[in-house]
Amino acid sequence: MAYNERVVDHYENPRNVGSLDKSDEGVGTGLVGAPACGDVMKLQIQVSPDGIIEDAKFKTFGCGSAIASSSLVTEWVKGKTLDEAIEIKNTHIAEHLALPPVKIHCSVLAEDAIKAAVADYRAKHVGVSGDANAEHAETVDAAE
Amino acid sequence: MNDSQSSDGSASAREATETACWSCDGTVDVRALFCHTCGKIQPCRPTDHFTRLGLKPQFELDPDELERQYIGFQRRFHPDRFATAPATEKTHSLQHATALNEAYAVLGSSQSRALHLLEVHNPELKNDASTTIDDPELLILVMEMREALASAETAGQIAEVIDAATEAIEECQSGLTKAFAADELDLAQSLAARLSYLDKISDEARLKARSHLN
Repeated sequence: MAYNERVVDHYENPRNVGSLDKSDEGVGTGLVGAPACGDVMKLQIQVSPDGIIEDAKFKTFGCGSAIASSSLVTEWVKGKTLDEAIEIKNTHIAEHLALPPVKIHCSVLAEDAIKAAVADYRAKHVGVSGDANAEHAETVDAAE
Repeated sequence: MNDSQSSDGSASAREATETACWSCDGTVDVRALFCHTCGKIQPCRPTDHFTRLGLKPQFELDPDELERQYIGFQRRFHPDRFATAPATEKTHSLQHATALNEAYAVLGSSQSRALHLLEVHNPELKNDASTTIDDPELLILVMEMREALASAETAGQIAEVIDAATEAIEECQSGLTKAFAADELDLAQSLAARLSYLDKISDEARLKARSHLN
């Protein structure tokens, strides 16, 4: 099976591999897995106080398509707001990487990972006392 | 012994229990492998892998019994026995032999056996195999074991990962035996997912250990 050159590029030169401090207030961590293939994907976002994703890192143990999907997503989310980030759909990822049907679940995993990271960041900031956080939590609620 | 095939297949209870033999048109039980009127081989019909090999649908399995049942059935259906038979019989024998091979392979691994048994209990489950899971405890464990394997450099460090995986796999297997015996299918499902991950880590650790030797 020949893979699309974008998959190969992301697989051979993955962007943003690494970890952020998950206990940092500004970091959201998403950890997801697909038991069918035994893949595990960690995706982290560094969010600025005004809700912009400034940095993203990932660590994926899985096939080339899973690595490429998570690498691509870390590139895409930088500079986006949290709401924009969760608009990323697996179909966009799969289309961009021209994933074959058997590898579609890798793009689903990447979509679920970014959603989980955003949810983790939001959970950290809901119910936390302090004006800035309370205000932030409200805008989050309003958005949902 | 091999005809003990007709265990209490409750799933087939609702379906027709008798059909016509393709060869002599006589009445034949749908579970029959050979027509009891003319003795001709019957078509390979869909059934679960346990029933196919005349085994009880349970997680616990004696590897020797699996071997015996597989060889016993394969001896009767092997295409070599039908080398001079008419085309229809050849086709049936080939399909039986293929289905037996698949059943043997699926039941031979505890991970695929657990997934198959879940499917037998709940046929809807089949499509959920690639669903994303969000079980933090398991995923953190997997991530840690993966990182340990990735950073393992000496044979000893790799062996440590293999040992940890083996221990976790055995724990998972005994958990699955209990969960299935108690009919706790949700628990069995999460243990089966856990086993899939552990199997994969164990395979990759062994692969790394082998390439380390070379």
